[in-house]
Amino acid sequence: MNQRSGRFWQYPWCYKESVAVVSGIIVVGFILQITTMAFDFSLLKYPVNLILGFLVLLFLFIFSFWRNRDFYKWFSGISFSVTLITALLLLALIMGLTPQTDSHLPSNASLHSILGFDRMVSSWPLVLIYFLTILSLGALIVRRIIAFQIKDYTFYLIHIGLWLILFASGLGAADRERYLMRVYEGEVEWRGLTDKNEIKELPVAIELNDFYMEVYPPSLAIIDRNTGIIQPENKPEFFAIDAQRPEGKLAGWTILFEKYIHQAVRNSDSSYHEVHMPGSSPAAKITAINSITAAEYSGWVCSGNVAQLYMTLNLDTNYCIAMMRPEPKRFVSDIHVYRKDKEVEHALLEVNKPYRAGAWIIYQHSYDEVAGNLSNYSEMELVYDPWLPFVYTGIFLLAAGALCLIWAGNKRKEARI
Amino acid sequence: MTWDSFLWFAVPAMICWLSAGILIYLTSVKISYLLMLTGILIFTVFIAGLWIGQGRPPLRTLGETRLWYSFFLTTVGFITCKHWKYKWLLSYSAMIAIIFTCINIFKPEIHSKNLMPALQSYWFVPHVTVYILSYALFAAATIASFIQLSKLGKGNSNAQLYRLIDNLVYTGFGFLMLGMLIGCIWAKEAWGHYWSWDPKETWAFITAAAYLIYIHKRRQEKDFLITLWILPFAFLLLLITWIGVNYLPSAQGSVHVY
Ligand code: HEM
Repeated sequence: MNQRSGRFWQYPWCYKESVAVVSGIIVVGFILQITTMAFDFSLLKYPVNLILGFLVLLFLFIFSFWRNRDFYKWFSGISFSVTLITALLLLALIMGLTPQTDSHLPSNASLHSILGFDRMVSSWPLVLIYFLTILSLGALIVRRIIAFQIKDYTFYLIHIGLWLILFASGLGAADRERYLMRVYEGEVEWRGLTDKNEIKELPVAIELNDFYMEVYPPSLAIIDRNTGIIQPENKPEFFAIDAQRPEGKLAGWTILFEKYIHQAVRNSDSSYHEVHMPGSSPAAKITAINSITAAEYSGWVCSGNVAQLYMTLNLDTNYCIAMMRPEPKRFVSDIHVYRKDKEVEHALLEVNKPYRAGAWIIYQHSYDEVAGNLSNYSEMELVYDPWLPFVYTGIFLLAAGALCLIWAGNKRKEARI
Repeated sequence: MTWDSFLWFAVPAMICWLSAGILIYLTSVKISYLLMLTGILIFTVFIAGLWIGQGRPPLRTLGETRLWYSFFLTTVGFITCKHWKYKWLLSYSAMIAIIFTCINIFKPEIHSKNLMPALQSYWFVPHVTVYILSYALFAAATIASFIQLSKLGKGNSNAQLYRLIDNLVYTGFGFLMLGMLIGCIWAKEAWGHYWSWDPKETWAFITAAAYLIYIHKRRQEKDFLITLWILPFAFLLLLITWIGVNYLPSAQGSVHVY
């Protein structure tokens, strides 16, 4: 099995020809990049991507009749695929080493920007090589499916899965839309904001019934009463409140907990009691003992929010103990989703728990961070991606293939050296 | 059950794992497997107890995630070792699991550090665990590739060693793919898209591409010297992905820098 080609361009083709073809395509890519400035993904919008996808399949079908030709074997063979993967690696390396921008146009007149290095994802060379990989991998799969052998199941799972992912995510990129939508409590909204800050009316409307959040018990810190800087100045220390640790050290002070109220409201005498309502804030009654002087102070501290003032415990004229703003544990939007010709749907949105409504996925995005639990709006992200099921199918196949690979390893026992 | 009783479980489990990791080289493999499993069982009981005691799955603090790392590392490490007979992998996963357990014992103040909502995902722990395993397998493949390179220099490469290298790379790559795919699904749920060319993702792609080149180039069974040298380079890229990315100018604002 001597694959080494004798003269250039004489079959069987091997690395020389592969490198020549791939570099040629990359050069063409750079010329296109310089003349058109970017690959415009919106050109691929439905139905263009559907037609292109169909043409790819048609090409693979017709091409398969030549599968015994040397050209087909080279196009679907290892030398070419290794060269393609190397090209992808090099292009990704540029992307990984230089800061990338979101814009589609050159950000400045440097050569680097004109060649599209600062926005690699939408650059012609990458798009062309990506497309060529889809064709090559497709041709390989067709060749191997025609010569189907059940013992090659790992090969099929991996390569078909990967092909589906590349095909669907590449062609689907243009159809993907994402919007931010800010909905106020008790109101219905159907307008979304694109990443270019344009307002668009969407086929999905959302009503926000309620927004609420839960927070973690906050930390304590010693701060300078005049500057507000956390002590020690160059290496700030925090003491996390934890019901199971009633005693701790903080920047030269011993802190003793007497009481912690997660949802507290202040009484008229500056103490706190527990009330479950949106305006409540964590509060704690503590005693601080100086490790050196043994000076002792005790009192309430509270982190406060827009509805009630914070409270600190003064240690001396310079320093006081303050309760930091609590960090969010979870925040939830209670919503109704309205779609044309569909029943009203009810959902509880959380980070990591998006809601699927057809080809739309609704995400909890943000809220009024100053107001916290009292935020009167919730911001959601709406993503439309009709190609997602294909990508997920590919992910599933590839994952199955990965498990087979882990289990079976290199199955070729007769490997030569 | 609460963290207060952690020591009562952690110490016996660690003793089991430690002796399993050592005894596998000294006495029968069976005893070491048994010890490994006992350690896993003890840990399982503690995790289950904590789950019941706190009334929620223990996935909310850094300390709780470290419990799962120890659990999954020893479990998957045990299964992989049993299947492939890589004794060192059992010792390695035992060692890393012990390190994670020790951090929980000696640094309780960071063990109660809370996770931000985006990290509170069932995908978090498997995502990290399979990467730890794949890194270990690739590291072993790199060492083996150096041995083979020196043999190749003397003109007598070893077929057995080639099989080992290939198997290490294949299993390592399998875990790497799982890590990436789990990451994709998680990203889709938490950030809205499965792949957004975040610097860490770009570098993960670069690393995977390098190993892919090895896997495919290797099947041509020629240019052995170049083929073997791919492995050290790929591992270098892996190290950049793992450790170096945060320092690159391109990594400003990556979701992986918490
Ligand atoms: C997740 C990524 C991939 C993995 C894990 C992988 C793994 C493998 C394995 C294990 C084999 C040998 C199996 C056999 O021949 O039965 C193989 C063969 C092959 N792969 Fe891949 N591969 C991947 C992606 C690709 C890509 C992107 C291409 C092409 C651009 C490609 C092209 C090939 C070719 C040409 C062969 C030789 C098969 C033949 O000639 O019949 N692979 N791959």
